[in-house]
Amino acid sequence: MVEKIAVAVDDLTVAYNYKPVLWDIDLSIPEGVLMAIVGPNGAGKSTLIKSILGIIDPIAGSVAIFGKPYSKQRDKVAYVPQKGSVDWDFPTTALDVVMMGTYGSLGWIKRPGAKEKKQSLEALEKVGMLAFKSRQISQLSGGQQQRIFLARALVQDAAIYFMDEPFQGVDATTEIAIINILKELRKAGKTVIVVHHDLQTVPEYFDWVTFLNVKHIATGPVKDIFNDDNLTKTYGINYKVAVQK
Amino acid sequence: MNPSIEIQMIAAVTAAACAIPGVFLVLRKMALISDAISHSILPGIVIGFMITQDLASPLLILLAAFSGIITVILVEMIQKTGLVKEDTAIGLVFPALFSIGVILIAQNANDVHLDVDAVLLGELAFAPFDRFYINDTDIGPKALWTISVILLITISLMLAFYKELKLSTFDVGLSSALGFSPVILHYGLMSVASVTTVAAFDAVGAILVVALMITPAAAAYLLTTDLKKMLVLSILFGVSSAIGGYWLARLLDASISGSITTVLGLLFLGIYFFAPSKGLIAVLLRQNRQRKEVSLLTFLLHLNNHDSTEERGVAHLQEHINWRRVRAKSVLDLAVQNNMITIENQVVSLTRKGLEFTEKALEYIITNKDEKIEDMKDDFFLFRG
Repeated sequence: MVEKIAVAVDDLTVAYNYKPVLWDIDLSIPEGVLMAIVGPNGAGKSTLIKSILGIIDPIAGSVAIFGKPYSKQRDKVAYVPQKGSVDWDFPTTALDVVMMGTYGSLGWIKRPGAKEKKQSLEALEKVGMLAFKSRQISQLSGGQQQRIFLARALVQDAAIYFMDEPFQGVDATTEIAIINILKELRKAGKTVIVVHHDLQTVPEYFDWVTFLNVKHIATGPVKDIFNDDNLTKTYGINYKVAVQK
Repeated sequence: MNPSIEIQMIAAVTAAACAIPGVFLVLRKMALISDAISHSILPGIVIGFMITQDLASPLLILLAAFSGIITVILVEMIQKTGLVKEDTAIGLVFPALFSIGVILIAQNANDVHLDVDAVLLGELAFAPFDRFYINDTDIGPKALWTISVILLITISLMLAFYKELKLSTFDVGLSSALGFSPVILHYGLMSVASVTTVAAFDAVGAILVVALMITPAAAAYLLTTDLKKMLVLSILFGVSSAIGGYWLARLLDASISGSITTVLGLLFLGIYFFAPSKGLIAVLLRQNRQRKEVSLLTFLLHLNNHDSTEERGVAHLQEHINWRRVRAKSVLDLAVQNNMITIENQVVSLTRKGLEFTEKALEYIITNKDEKIEDMKDDFFLFRG
């Protein structure tokens, strides 16, 4: 079976102040997987996503989304940044944040209209946040804010979803709600790539996994490669006890 | 037009033109940058003046605005080395450029009205003397025309790029991922701020420009949670302070720019104290109420945990929970008011409502699930997070 490659990363090296945080990464992500990126703090997980999306310029290497550079494929990609990366005291409402997901398809200058509003309301409904549409975003709980971010990505109606720690600081109900939506996306043939922290839940939530620690360690189906060997290579200590399958 | 109305118009249009970029500077936490720009455009103004010999010339405005942009670039370059933090970088760059400007004035422009006092504080009263003529017809003060054109450009740019500015201010990452280059938007905003500063500079001076940009936005931020309203309110505050300041200056026979700044400051102070939900008084009242509610909940939980009559005696409770009389009394009153307890023969009992409330609150504390207390939120601040 020949799989279509959704994301291909080739010899990618990224540095902050000349100190490499990602070193010669080669990575192929097939279409239709729900994949976790795991690795210790400072492993470059967020940086990897950001450089795939052109938010950070790599010092070497290239990225292809369905065979073309990202700048030509923006409409096929949705992005959920870390919740902590924005100022939640910003004067705006939940609905307005979700509408930002439509800006990409609108392009410069054009304003969102009735169609964009309708899409955004549908996305809010999908994440169970319709009742909060007019609420100022600082008045939402951490889990609710994360759902708003997810709704904003859903509005983009992309083929590939990148999410940076969507489970950080959310309650158990929200975590389940989010993972169910991600699984639905995969069922619909979308590719979902998630920076993830909780190793315990990897086998339950994801079907693919990438191990990363500055260098790329392994990528593949969870059932084949989520093992003590790779965990030890990534985290440097023996994980036999910590993760029980 | 008489000079009085002309001065008020210049001040009002300047205030409006400053308020718009100011809102975005405040939201981007870049208020200090406007201070830096306002000072470091000075060498640009002096050099522009040496070339054009005309303070209202468009070339001068562009040259000066360009030195504003250079400030921003220099600050970012120094910051990027990672050796000093942003505020330090700002503190290094603008005095350097400003001092170059001061030296240039002293060396070359001693005989014109460009002096350091005017630069710092502006001289709005003189603005109507510099007239704009078309075919020998007087069509008003030059300063009014210049700042009006800039206000129009600012408004059109803001209307055109409102969505892009909002997105890149709120979420740089998504803005970049969606193809709205945050760098272009950043320098676009900086250019508008620089051009506005230069045009406002001659009328109101370097210090007031900062006040006109930052204060209205800071005040509006305390009053609204809607970006559009924040923009409208900022313009309103700026314009009304400009006109109010003019009349205060007439009344006190004082500097117009100083009076405008004073009115702005007083306006902000009033809003800072009295804003309905973000003001200082509202915050203190809310905290006070929250403290009371936490006490109430502690008290109710205690009642819930202890069944025996002696544990529920009024005097015993005061002693047991270790509260002073006044606090214990206010908590008891609050509980009675809300029909959560009954007091008979100095023995306190939970009512049915009190019991339900306590159990619900307990469940919330244990599970920390928001939806469980959605319906309680309206009654109690405690759960609003």
